[in-house]
Amino acid sequence: MPMSEPKKGMTRSELVLQIIVFGLGFFYAGVYYVSATPAIDLQAISDQLLTYITAVLTAGFAIGVINLIRVHTTNIKRRRATWRYSVLLLVSLAAMAIFSVIASPYALDPTGAVIPTSLIAFSTPIWEFLYYKILVNINSTIFSLLAFFIASAAYRAFKARSLESTLLLVAGLLVMLGQAPITSLIWPGFAAIRTWLLTVPNTAGQRGVLIGIALGILVFSVRRLFRYPW
Amino acid sequence: MYLILLLVIAAPILTHSVISTPINPMTKTLYDFIQNLPPNSLVVESFDYATSVVPELHPQAIVVTQQLFLRPLKVLFVALDPNGPPMAQAVLDTINKNNKTYGVDYATLGLIPNSASEIGMVSNITQFLPLDTHSNPTASLPIMKEFPAGKMAALLISYDDDSTALFSYLQYWQGRAGVPVAVGSTALLAPGYLPFYNSKQLVGVLISAPAAAEYELLLNSPPPEGYGCCLGISGATSALVSQSTAHLLIIGMVVVGNVAYFAGRRRRSEKEK
Repeated sequence: MPMSEPKKGMTRSELVLQIIVFGLGFFYAGVYYVSATPAIDLQAISDQLLTYITAVLTAGFAIGVINLIRVHTTNIKRRRATWRYSVLLLVSLAAMAIFSVIASPYALDPTGAVIPTSLIAFSTPIWEFLYYKILVNINSTIFSLLAFFIASAAYRAFKARSLESTLLLVAGLLVMLGQAPITSLIWPGFAAIRTWLLTVPNTAGQRGVLIGIALGILVFSVRRLFRYPW
Repeated sequence: MYLILLLVIAAPILTHSVISTPINPMTKTLYDFIQNLPPNSLVVESFDYATSVVPELHPQAIVVTQQLFLRPLKVLFVALDPNGPPMAQAVLDTINKNNKTYGVDYATLGLIPNSASEIGMVSNITQFLPLDTHSNPTASLPIMKEFPAGKMAALLISYDDDSTALFSYLQYWQGRAGVPVAVGSTALLAPGYLPFYNSKQLVGVLISAPAAAEYELLLNSPPPEGYGCCLGISGATSALVSQSTAHLLIIGMVVVGNVAYFAGRRRRSEKEK
């Protein structure tokens, strides 16, 4: 299959976009690294631009909600296989949204200036029930299943098949022994070994990874700002 | 096997078993840092966790906030996760507020919607969070008049469940403005934070529920004057026994798995001979 020719040059709209990316990229880098106060307050300009970004991102969020509603409404209309879940999703979305705007830390009018205080008083326990008793517990339960996966994986996969896997196995066991407070009653050295493993060999490895990531991001950012390759 | 795991986790919780725990130096460092903050310093607490990690991070938030309220400090509550504001409210409903006044000593500013606002807050908080969670204009709050910019904070603590929040605070608050940063971390993510702790970019790392239990012990030794509240406030101490027994079971599983693996290998090699 013939490969397409690499694109040469830029169209006018691409050039305008690139100038904006280049200008803003260097502007924010300048504001971040230069602490001197020039005649124009760059910090104030930066803050103003950042508030515009917030507005744009919020609009993007609204588009996401509209899209979600459209997708699931279509599911229901066409009676697709999972249409019942779509109904549940839309009902949950509407219920949480309504009660959240009436009574929650996201309430539009928590002082009751416009919304009747009786409605707020009625909605508060419902929202608290939906959030703290249902959402928190469902999410915690799902996350807690990890313990069962780990137990299963420990039995089936965590084996000393080679030198590397043996090292990993021993280090993992020592960290687990150090992490469980009951082992400190048997021998206090487990906690010290755990701390050493985490702060010395782990830190060395993590630093290597982090420096690699940072250099990658730097190179990518410079390439993006200069739009290389064209 | 799953049934045994369920039993070793549930039994200690149902019987309210308690176990003593050694204090991790990383926990003690943060505790000491807060104890040594000058009076009237500003501390920003950022609730950056979803409800799925409540068992790990919520106890930490409770005990640290309790310590902050026992000291003459000012506290701002923010969040980079949409679940953060309700979690902050749950913490405030749990602790003893020690006669602190809303708006003067502490304020709940709600969600920081994106990193653009997080960057801007370093120099101007009210511009990016114009209303608090009670719909008061933040500019009218005495605490905001005293501390209008994030860079004035003496400490920022992020309870973080996916590292993006912490890394952005390290970049924009610690790196740029020099604000000391600490993290409340899940056990899974903590190893990734230790390079920042060793390089002194983090002033403390709390690792999962055990850190909350350790913190409870620190808060209670000696008990705060006139207020011996703190043992059991977060529920973490009773979770420690479950964690210990679950860890021992998993270690046992690993040992059994390896014994079975080597026995099987020996059997296969004998058959081949």
